[in-house]
Amino acid sequence: MSALIEIKGLTKKYRLGQEIIIALDNVDLTIEEGEFLCILGTSGSGKSTLLHIMAGLERATKGEVLLRGVSLTKMKEKKMAGFRRKYLGFIFQSYNLIPSMTALENVALPLVFDGVNKKARFKRSCEILVQLGLQHRLKNKPTEMSGGQQQRVSIARALVNNPKIVFADEPTGNLDSKTTEEIMKLLKEKVNKTGVTLIMVTHDLELANYGDRVISMRDGKITKIVNNKEGCRDEKKAE
Amino acid sequence: MNKLDLLKLARQNLWRRKLRTILTVLGVLIGTTSIVVMLSLGIGLRESQRKSMESWGSLTMIRVQQGMAFDNEGNPLGEAKRLNDEAVAEIKAIEGVIAVSPAYDVGGEARLGRKRGGLQLIGIDPEVMDQLEFKAEQGRLLKKGDRNVIVVGSQVIYQFHDESERRKMERGMMMYEDPRSRQQKDPAEMLDQRLSMIMQNGPEKKKNYNFMVVGILEGERNEHSYQAYAPIDDIKKMRDFTRGGSTQRGIGGSGREAVLLARSGKTVAAKKGSSSRDTANDYSFILVRTGKVEQTREVSKTIKDKGYNCWSMADSLEGIEKTSRTVQAVLGGIGAITLLVAALGITNTMIMSIYERTKEIGIMKVIGATFTDIHTLFLAEAGMIGFIGGLFGLGLSYGVSKIINHLFQNYLNRGMPAEEMMSISLIPSWLALFALLFSVVIGLVAGLYPAHRAVRLSPIRAIRNE
Ligand SMILES: Nc1ncnc2c1ncn2[C@@H]1O[C@H](COP(=O)(O)OP(=O)(O)OP(=O)(O)O)[C@@H](O)[C@H]1O
Ligand SMILES: [Mg+2]
Repeated sequence: MSALIEIKGLTKKYRLGQEIIIALDNVDLTIEEGEFLCILGTSGSGKSTLLHIMAGLERATKGEVLLRGVSLTKMKEKKMAGFRRKYLGFIFQSYNLIPSMTALENVALPLVFDGVNKKARFKRSCEILVQLGLQHRLKNKPTEMSGGQQQRVSIARALVNNPKIVFADEPTGNLDSKTTEEIMKLLKEKVNKTGVTLIMVTHDLELANYGDRVISMRDGKITKIVNNKEGCRDEKKAE
Repeated sequence: MNKLDLLKLARQNLWRRKLRTILTVLGVLIGTTSIVVMLSLGIGLRESQRKSMESWGSLTMIRVQQGMAFDNEGNPLGEAKRLNDEAVAEIKAIEGVIAVSPAYDVGGEARLGRKRGGLQLIGIDPEVMDQLEFKAEQGRLLKKGDRNVIVVGSQVIYQFHDESERRKMERGMMMYEDPRSRQQKDPAEMLDQRLSMIMQNGPEKKKNYNFMVVGILEGERNEHSYQAYAPIDDIKKMRDFTRGGSTQRGIGGSGREAVLLARSGKTVAAKKGSSSRDTANDYSFILVRTGKVEQTREVSKTIKDKGYNCWSMADSLEGIEKTSRTVQAVLGGIGAITLLVAALGITNTMIMSIYERTKEIGIMKVIGATFTDIHTLFLAEAGMIGFIGGLFGLGLSYGVSKIINHLFQNYLNRGMPAEEMMSISLIPSWLALFALLFSVVIGLVAGLYPAHRAVRLSPIRAIRNE
């Protein structure tokens, strides 16, 4: 496996009046292609900040993020937006669907910005919604769906452009345990099937164990890296 | 991002807040309507004035009259200058003048076959008649060497009546005949006929002057359609006869029209001329033709500066144009203010919309919308408000314009034939196009700041703090 993302000496500081908050403190990390990485940490430990900088949504104060050797920290906005359209997908805790649009329109939106024609984008969006079991909810607006359904729509939107990397920030934070399990299984399945790299933020140790690797963070620093995959393999061997 | 998708998205966004969008559009609609209607009033006013001027007289003609010149405030400018051959020569020398003719006018009773009537006869230099903007509808104009021939206006025939018509008139039945309902007469009937003017000098002495009608002038409603023109030498003889030994100007006889004509003619000037011996040969007036419409005002001013009293249609037009321009500026200004307020309305609506859609804008950025996409989306929404307002405003303008024209129709076009009907409000296609374009531009300009704000919104702030 080759390195997909390389993070070197990443530091992010926020200034709040006189106070300076160090959200990320000199973080080094390598993420490999096709892996399911979980970032675990308490509230305020800098998980979301790390995610945002990796996705080019926020600028680092210091350090570098290399995506297949290309520096994101220096990339121009326009190129970065194109990058997100083509290679990245996002899933949020509160789904972040556009309330005025139907499920289908929401899923198709990234393709709209990518200039895909109407027929092709609706075909692709339908396909993926059906795969996620939402064939009866295509024309529903977000307010007409349950939380679980909304999150599936948002997963569909994240996957519609066949991304290389999907970022998920506490995707099950608003869901009950049963739905959480469903969603997690779904994500895991997608990673295994499509080879997409999934980077998921959570503060729940149990959920973190779905990941191939779990990174623990505290006060903007990585404190521990646990590799489950080896364990998996061991288990398989044991069988 | 595809242009069509962008417009669809913009439309969809506008339609989400129907009431607010409609109210904002309403502002633009009112602004556009007031600007278009107000401009259309100015345009219509000027156009109808130009039209009526054109039909009443040429814009290259100046008429130099006896009496003093006055400045704009009505103060006399020096001594009254005499209209004699010296004056003709002086005027001819002015740059821009291409033809000058002195003129005498006489009025009196005339006979045309068995018909009788009154006639105002003007003597001009036959040689330059064709240069003085006269045009013959039938027959020909006067030319050099003509004697005892006459060219008549197209309406002159209506002034001659036979016995039965005269009796009817005496009973008052034909007094105020409506030109549209009167019996049609063909002016060509007069062609090649003998017309005699009966001039009078004192109660007994009468003399007949015979003319041959050689031409009918063009135009039914201009300054010369009720007049007749003959070589100046013939008219001078007639005038001299009526003046011989008498201070009273001989205005022949019994025809009622003759009296009316004499009243409307240059009686004051004529009397003045006859009161003093050495001015007896002064012309009644002098006709001047300039080369170009633009020169007329200048020439007219030069003539006035030289101390002559003159009048031209171009002078009157200038004043009218000035007032029309002022009216347009004032009206347009009111419309502009309304549109400015409408533009502020658009900006306000778009800013409100950004507050409501902060999160949504953030999401769009996260899933790959560029700054340009967001910027264009908001501009498109603002421009669309402008366009829709402009479009409906234009529609409303046409309606209002129709209503205004309808209301003023009777007042403006009384007795006008249909093809010469004038509109007080006129919307030319360029104005329609301009209005539409203008409202879109207003929308776009009003949207610039909100679009800029939308672009600068941090996607992180939008998706954080959920
Ligand atoms: N825009 C900002 N301005 C100032 N401080 C910020 C800003 N964004 C984040 N922080 C601070 O940076 C630190 C890291 O925040 P971050 O959102 O990454 O935490 P997190 O691990 O995602 O927490 P949670 O689990 O609650 O989402 C926090 O102390 C937070 O207060
Ligand atoms: Mg977070």
